[in-house]
Order: sequence, then C-alpha cells, then structure tokens
Amino acid sequence: MSLTDRIARGLEAGWKVTDATTLTDHQTHEADVIVIGTGAGGGTTAEILAKNGLSVILVEEGRLYYQKDFTMDEHSAYASLYQEGMSRTTQDGAIAILQGRCVGGSTTVNWTSSFRTPDQTLTYWADNFGLDNLSPEAMAPWFEGREQRHTVAPWQTPPNVNNDILRQGCEQLGYSWQTIPRNVKGCWNLGYCGVGCPTNAKQGALMTTIPGALDHQARLFHGLRAERLVMDQDRIDHLQASAMGADGITPSGVTVTLKARHFVVAASAIGSPGLLLRSDIPDPHARVGKRSFIHPVNATIAQMPEKVDPFYGAPQSIYSDEFNFKNGVDGPAGFKLEVPPLHPGMSAGVIPGHGPEQIDAMAGLPWTQSVIALMRDGFHPESPGGTVTLRDDGSPVLDYPITDYLWHGLKQAYLTMAEIQFAAGASKVRLVHLDSNWYTSWGEARAAINSIAMEPHRVRLFTAHQMGGCSMGQDPQTSVVNGFGEHHQVSNLSVHDASVFPTSIGANPQLSIYALAARNSARLAAKLTS
Amino acid sequence: MLDPSAARSGDTEFARLDRRSFLKSGLGGTLFLATVSTTAGLSGCATAPAGQLDAVDTQMKTSYQFRFLTRDDIELFEALLPAMFGPALPEQPQARRLAVAGTIERIDAGIENFGPANQQELRRLFDLLTFGFTRVTIARVWSRWPNVSTTDANAFLERWRTSGIGLFNNGYIALTKISNVAFYGGHDQWHLSGYPGPPQWAVDALPQFKTA
Ligand SMILES: Cc1cc2nc3c(=O)[nH]c(=O)nc-3n(C[C@H](O)[C@H](O)[C@H](O)COP(=O)(O)OP(=O)(O)OC[C@H]3O[C@@H](n4cnc5c(N)ncnc54)[C@H](O)[C@@H]3O)c2cc1C
Repeated sequence: MSLTDRIARGLEAGWKVTDATTLTDHQTHEADVIVIGTGAGGGTTAEILAKNGLSVILVEEGRLYYQKDFTMDEHSAYASLYQEGMSRTTQDGAIAILQGRCVGGSTTVNWTSSFRTPDQTLTYWADNFGLDNLSPEAMAPWFEGREQRHTVAPWQTPPNVNNDILRQGCEQLGYSWQTIPRNVKGCWNLGYCGVGCPTNAKQGALMTTIPGALDHQARLFHGLRAERLVMDQDRIDHLQASAMGADGITPSGVTVTLKARHFVVAASAIGSPGLLLRSDIPDPHARVGKRSFIHPVNATIAQMPEKVDPFYGAPQSIYSDEFNFKNGVDGPAGFKLEVPPLHPGMSAGVIPGHGPEQIDAMAGLPWTQSVIALMRDGFHPESPGGTVTLRDDGSPVLDYPITDYLWHGLKQAYLTMAEIQFAAGASKVRLVHLDSNWYTSWGEARAAINSIAMEPHRVRLFTAHQMGGCSMGQDPQTSVVNGFGEHHQVSNLSVHDASVFPTSIGANPQLSIYALAARNSARLAAKLTS
Repeated sequence: MLDPSAARSGDTEFARLDRRSFLKSGLGGTLFLATVSTTAGLSGCATAPAGQLDAVDTQMKTSYQFRFLTRDDIELFEALLPAMFGPALPEQPQARRLAVAGTIERIDAGIENFGPANQQELRRLFDLLTFGFTRVTIARVWSRWPNVSTTDANAFLERWRTSGIGLFNNGYIALTKISNVAFYGGHDQWHLSGYPGPPQWAVDALPQFKTA
C-alpha cells in the first residue's frame, strides 16, 4: 500500500497494534485507561487521553481494515465491516440494524452527514433529565472543536441527482431544505462511503482520532472482544477479553486480561449495555439496556424520468427538517428527511419482493430515487424506546416495539415522501412495504397509504442510528451515567458513546457523539492526571 | 432422509395446538421453530454443512467449501432461486446452473459472517422448510424441494409474503433478502440493475487496485 495511507504509514512506523486473531497465549496487559470500542466515542476518548500523557489500550472486536481493503465491493464490505455480517435486526426481525464492526466502528462505514445536536434536543434534556450543563451555549465550543478535528463543512459540490430530487420536491411544495455538512477532506464524490472510503477522504475515527491516539503511544488490540468487566469491591479491577479466531467471529480460546485505573466503555448502543449486563455491573434501578432509541426509518422509492444513478456521488448532501420539530419537541412524532445511497446488493436487500416485479424494479435502478424519514423517538411518553437484553450465548439483542405513536409518524412520513417525489416529477412511487404497488399519481399514492397496513414485518423498517441503553441523567433512579458519562455507581467506569443519549438526537448522531466524548474525555484526563 | 416415526410423533404433538394462534406470538414462533429443528436433527436430516460438493451429488461442480448450508438447504435454494430470479437467469442451461450455484455459494459465504445467534435462527427456518412434516403443514409445499416446480415455489413465496402472520413475513424477508443481496450484489449480475460498477477512472487511480 502506498505510504500516503495514514494507517499503512503508521504501521510501518511501529504503532503498537496487535491483531488478536494471531495470539496463541493467554496474556495480561496494563494501562492507565482501557477504552472498549474504537468508533466515534472510543476514538475520540483514546486520542484525548493519550495526548494528555495517559497510557491507553484500545479494544476492538472487529478487525483493522483500511485503504488496501476498501475496494468499493458490497459483498466483502458487508461481511467484514458490519455487525453480524449486515444481518443484525431487532429481536423479532422487524427492523434491520446497520452498525459497524471494525476499527473506526460505524464511522468507517457511515455516510458522513455531520449535524450538531439540535438545540431543541439539548433543551429537552436539560428540562427533563437535569442535564443543564449540556445547553446549546455550553456545547457550542465542543461542536466547533470537533468540526475542526473531523473537517466538517457544508458540502460545496452540487448534490447528486438522488439528493437533488429531495431538494426539488421540497422547493415545489414550499418545504424547507438545506445542504448537509460532511466530514470529508478532498472527497472524490464517488459514493462508496458505506463500504469503507476508498480514497481516505472520510474523516471518521479511522483517519483522525485512532491514528492520533496511536501516534501518542496508545496500544490497539483488534479482533479482541470485551467479555466481562470484573469488579473488586466497588471498583472495576480488570477486563476479560476473548481473542477472535481466524474467521474474526468465533473466539479462538485465547483470553486477554486488561488491567487499568479507569475503564471507558464505547462499544455503542446495544454493545455497551450488553457488556454492562454481561458483567453484572451494579444496576440498582435496572436501568441498563432501557430507553434504547433507533430513529426508526421508513422509505419510499421513485422512478424518475431522468437518470439518477443513485450509486454515485456523495450519498447524503440535502436534507429537510420541515417536519422534524414542527409539532413541538414532544408532539406527534417528527422526522428528518434524507436520501440513502442505492447500490445493487443493498437495494435488492431493502426493496422487498421477488420474481418479475423485483427484476423490473432492479432493472430500473439507474432511474431510481429514494427518500428516507428518520423518526425522532424518545421525546414522548408513548415513545419509551426498546430494551437491550442478552441472548443465551451472552450476545446482546434489541427488542424494539413500534408503538401506535410511531406508526402514526411513519404513515405521515410515507405521505410526505411520496408527495415530495411526485412534486419532483416522479413517474411512479412505491413504499418500501410488503404490500405496496407502484402508484402513478400522488392521489393514488395518498389513498393507498391511508389504507395500507401499518404493521411490523409489512412496513420495512431500518436503523443506522442506535442510541441509548446506558442513558445519562442527573437522577440515578432513571439513568446509568451522569452528564459527564460517569457511571452512577462505579467510580472508575465511564461510558462515551451513543448509548448515553437519553432520547434520540433528531439528527444523524456522529457529531453529537464526537462532541460529548471530547468534553467528557477532557474532564477525565484532567482527573486522571491530577 | 425423512424418518417417518419422527414425523408422526411430531404430528400428534403439534396437532394439539391451535397452530395459527400459536404462531402469532413471537415466542411461540421461536419455541416452535426450536422444536422443529430439534426434531429434524434427531430424525437424521442432513444437518452438517455440505462441505465440498462433487458432481455426483449436485448440479454444482465447484471447489467451493460449504460452511453453513446443508445439502437439504442447497436443494431448497435450487428450487427457490428460479422463482426469485427466473427471467433474469441466463437461458443456456449450463450458464443458468452456474448462476444459481454461484448465488448459493455467496449465500453460504454471507451467512458465515452472521454470527452464531443469527445462524441459529436461519438454521431453524431452513429446518422448518426442509423437514417433511413442517414443509407440508407450515409452508404447504407438498413435494420435496427438488421436485417443486417454479410455479409452486413462487406460490409458496407469495403465501409467505402476503400472510397475516408476522413470522411468515419474516421468513419471506429472510429468504429473499439473503438471496437478493447474494444475487444482485455479485459482479456477474451487476448488468441486471444497470450498475456499471465502481467508476473506472477511480479504479485506475487508486493504489488498492494496482496489481504490482
Ligand atoms: C451505514 C451507516 C451510515 C451512517 N451514516 C451516518 C451519517 O451520515 N451521519 C452520522 O452522524 N451518523 C451516521 N451513522 C451512525 C454513526 O456512524 C454512529 O451513530 C456512530 O458511529 C456511533 O458511535 P459509537 O461510538 O456509539 O459507536 P461505533 O462508532 O459504532 O463504535 C463502536 C465499536 O465498538 C465495537 N464493539 C462493540 N462491542 C464490543 C465488544 N464487546 N468488545 C470490543 N469492541 C466492541 C464495535 O465493533 C464498534 O467498532 C451511520 C451508521 C451506519 C451503520
């Protein structure tokens, strides 16, 4: 690999990186801090602690993949970079869960949209969870700092047709729309963010904070799964971890024991509550795993008269917040409108069907446009979120019931998305729903949506935004960590990832995670070095 | 393959249950599938991964080593894929067989990364569909999969797609999703979705594609 690649160069220069699949002996290592998970939260934490002179060990169950592995190929990427080989779903199978499992976590495969936490959300947290010092004013410098670190800026290049159709439809209907800020540097506008950036343009954890931490003597073990945090009296004494075998999925039998003064869990929503549950960490009010949110996503697809080529170009560059907070923070479910990239494998997996109809739909891919709606969950009593529990084998699983409140929002979203696509000139529109036909006019679509079954399994739902499960708050009776990510009961344990959010964000979450992790890590570094 | 006594004992056991209401609850469904896979396993169905198949056993003569799919599962997909992709498959018989075989290999390779929990769910689903008693009662497919016509395979998929029982919809989604991703995501099928592949200018410029 060319030595312009940040990872190849670092490995050459002697970074302390261990591929745990190659380990043959049980072993023990020690550091000031163990960071579990290398995604948005873990990478940020490791870099800040290491730069403050603390010794850090990063633990990642996925593998280290970088430019040499990013070949714009769906099959290899889904198999290697995603949780459960892209087959993760909610417990009943009704919601597909997209989540990363590799160094850099979900930031290695995400679509680079970078939003600050909406002011309405921060204010709601202050009012409802006692998180006063997370006000928009207090957080602004942290967002700014992370925007610089990850090179976040509104996308300057014209949107691809897929995104532009969302803009055109909104414009026709008088709905607001805006350009998405992205975390990229020298982006080639290719469209392959979801399978690992082939050009190193994406400024996710893999290209920024992980190298930053490794340059400052942090050690990285990849292919190593955190199994159990083991307590000694009221503190965590060590982490027990399993090396993965050659397949990267099943443990080899080699265990690694990691001792430290402090432990930061950053295995994300689902992973972090899973680890705490497996470890029997004190949880007097049974809060771990509760209030898990996912921005439930539904979608419509349109056939356009012009070519869309939805597989090319920055995947997300236009959004509409017209309906996000329109009815108040805790009114009927609001949603953010965006566009997904459509590559053939992913599209065929997402658009339900088989036989000639499916074959025709796939043949129309170059003319296909899609809009997605991200439901803002967690702000209303009838949106209490889901629950993470452990399966028999100790792996975490999310149960997420869809309430009537959410079905109502999802139906409104179908209506809005179809209306926008017709307004932008679609020749026909269908819902990503088991019972949907193609509709050739807005009137026909509206009538169909008003009578179609809003039921699990029939409505195809997705999430790429898992949040909550170790929620933060002032009150230990209703939360797991405080507003600094510090565990209420265990003094040398922090949680720095998407699992701490007490509701969903109401925007794509990566920048919220980067900023909060940076703020909390700065405080942790000060504590540990004083 | 089918042990009649296992099927019969299964019959009395299941006959006592109101099948529809039982299947409606997720838990019932899971328990049910668990029972089926145990029964199927005990009855001696092919539960071991098929490994490397040779030309005598199958249409597929390749060097691929199956790590999850059993011979029964492979027969299931050989029957289902023509219903899913028929008109999109090549007409020439040998090319057609190779396209089906390649897709089944990619299905197997994909499942290998699903991890133990999801593999177990799929094992239950495949057992339910390949075990004679449940194939007939639950899927309403009367013959063994190698003898199922494309029309009947399509009717089965359609029943599960339109069923009012979530568990069947879920089974439909699982079967079509893994097949669709394996099929349309493969280089050989890109042309079917008008996908030209990664932009050539980028491939030419990027170091990871340079074979030194
Ligand atoms: C396809 C896709 C597109 C997305 N697009 C966007 C977008 O455009 N904008 C945006 O803001 N967000 C997007 N997201 C979401 C965003 O990337 C995530 O919200 C964010 O990365 C979560 O950060 P995190 O630190 O909580 O977890 P992650 O970044 O997911 O990192 C967690 C890491 O922990 C590891 N882990 C889990 N359990 C263990 C264990 N037991 N032991 C060791 N390691 C473990 C995981 O393998 C993973 O690597 C997208 C996500 C996906 C999947």
